[in-house]
Amino acid sequence: MLNIQARQEGNAAIVTIQGKVNFEVTAQLRDVIRDTVAQQQPKLLVINLEGVSFIDSSGLGLLVAARNSVDKSSGKLHLCGLPAQVKKTFDQTNLTNYFSIFTTEQDALRGA
Amino acid sequence: MSKGVVLVVDDEPPIRDILSFYLKRADYQVLVAENGIRGLEEMSKLQPDLIISDLRMPEMAGDDFCRQVKANASTKDIYFMLVSALDGSMSKIGGLNIGADDMISKPFHAQEVMAKVDSAFRIIAMQNEIKRQNVVLREFQDRVNGEMELAARLQMGLLPALPGIAPGIQYTHRYLPADGIGGDIYAIAPLPDGSTALMIADVSGHGVTAALISSMVKTSFESHLRLSLDPLAWAVGMNQDLSRNTLAEQFATAFLAHLDPATGKMAYVVAGHPAPFKIPAGDSGKIGKPEQLSGKGFMLGIDADLPFTSQHADFHVGDRLVLFTDGLDEVERENRTYLGEEGLMGFCEDLPTDAEQAAIQLIEQVKAFNGPATFSDDVTLVVVDRVD
Repeated sequence: MLNIQARQEGNAAIVTIQGKVNFEVTAQLRDVIRDTVAQQQPKLLVINLEGVSFIDSSGLGLLVAARNSVDKSSGKLHLCGLPAQVKKTFDQTNLTNYFSIFTTEQDALRGA
Repeated sequence: MSKGVVLVVDDEPPIRDILSFYLKRADYQVLVAENGIRGLEEMSKLQPDLIISDLRMPEMAGDDFCRQVKANASTKDIYFMLVSALDGSMSKIGGLNIGADDMISKPFHAQEVMAKVDSAFRIIAMQNEIKRQNVVLREFQDRVNGEMELAARLQMGLLPALPGIAPGIQYTHRYLPADGIGGDIYAIAPLPDGSTALMIADVSGHGVTAALISSMVKTSFESHLRLSLDPLAWAVGMNQDLSRNTLAEQFATAFLAHLDPATGKMAYVVAGHPAPFKIPAGDSGKIGKPEQLSGKGFMLGIDADLPFTSQHADFHVGDRLVLFTDGLDEVERENRTYLGEEGLMGFCEDLPTDAEQAAIQLIEQVKAFNGPATFSDDVTLVVVDRVD
């Protein structure tokens, strides 16, 4: 089961994802991220992965695409709350060095 | 042209006549019979769309007639209206239970019957349209299935032929795509200087799109082999090819290696892919303890400018490499746990020395571990043995 919530805080948009992110749910997640970026054109998009139990390659691809799309509108993408299992996947694929990753949502919002 | 064919079955001529009169006036073609047996005879000459049959008739009554029509595969879809006096001989529900589509109670008004006939023909038209669309859908599905099978055979043809032999190595594989065709690919290519190039890749997602990209990955790999003997150059080149030619969220994890039998060394790049296990040659013809190759790196196809790094390792006679895609160890079991790379490496501790037997045993062990859960992603396993 995947639970996605999007909210706005100042210039930032925050998308919170909970559950297993795999091939079956990427379409749903892609729509939320695309709509959020299109409607709010946020300076900062924060994706909170705290509740993500598993992420597969299509989920990673989606995050890469999200970074590309905010890059195009001169925004920034910050990820936060990576659980150990997800962190491991990021380490293995070097994506730890590709994304700006923060421990908490507050850190991600401050960008510090 | 008539609006359809109606068979009227009744042992009383006046009723047949009056129904025939109204039906013909409304442009229906009418067949008549005086009982069920005659009705079946009429039907063998011309199949009606609708039957209006009386219940009480000599020789074969309406309920028997209805059961026979509904029991026959070629006539069961004919709309059947049973006409009955509601005198206790048959209830409305009883009539519907034997398969009649509608009941008309006697005495009836011809207008009421005609309204029911028109309504029945609207349902018949809808059913015919659904049947027609089903035929079209089935033909489409058959065509797509046929094309998928052909594509799957073509994709199997892209894999190295087995049993595999290249300079300094022997190898075998297991290739189990999730949807008939898949996004996994591997290649082993002998190079002009007597060395061997090796690549395994897993394109994000699965199905047709991933399969198309996987063949692009293989073509890209082969084209870069002609330009360099350095796996780092292959990775950089393939990353550029994939970044330019695929959508933003499509990429491939890959392991690329250059094996040189002359020196017993290999150079390799880990591009977001699970690093293979190396099982060194053990004492007296046995195999040693498996270890996972070091190194990590970006996946191919995210961004054309990303940097990659290469690693080096020994690869001596008797050593074995076990390459795999994550579909092999990332099956979610009923208790929501996964085998994982560590678990998979554990299974590599006592593999048979024969590569083919080793591949069989490893897949069996993984399946046994997963229990009833089956592979849901593409799975590729390649066992490469360093030989003289």
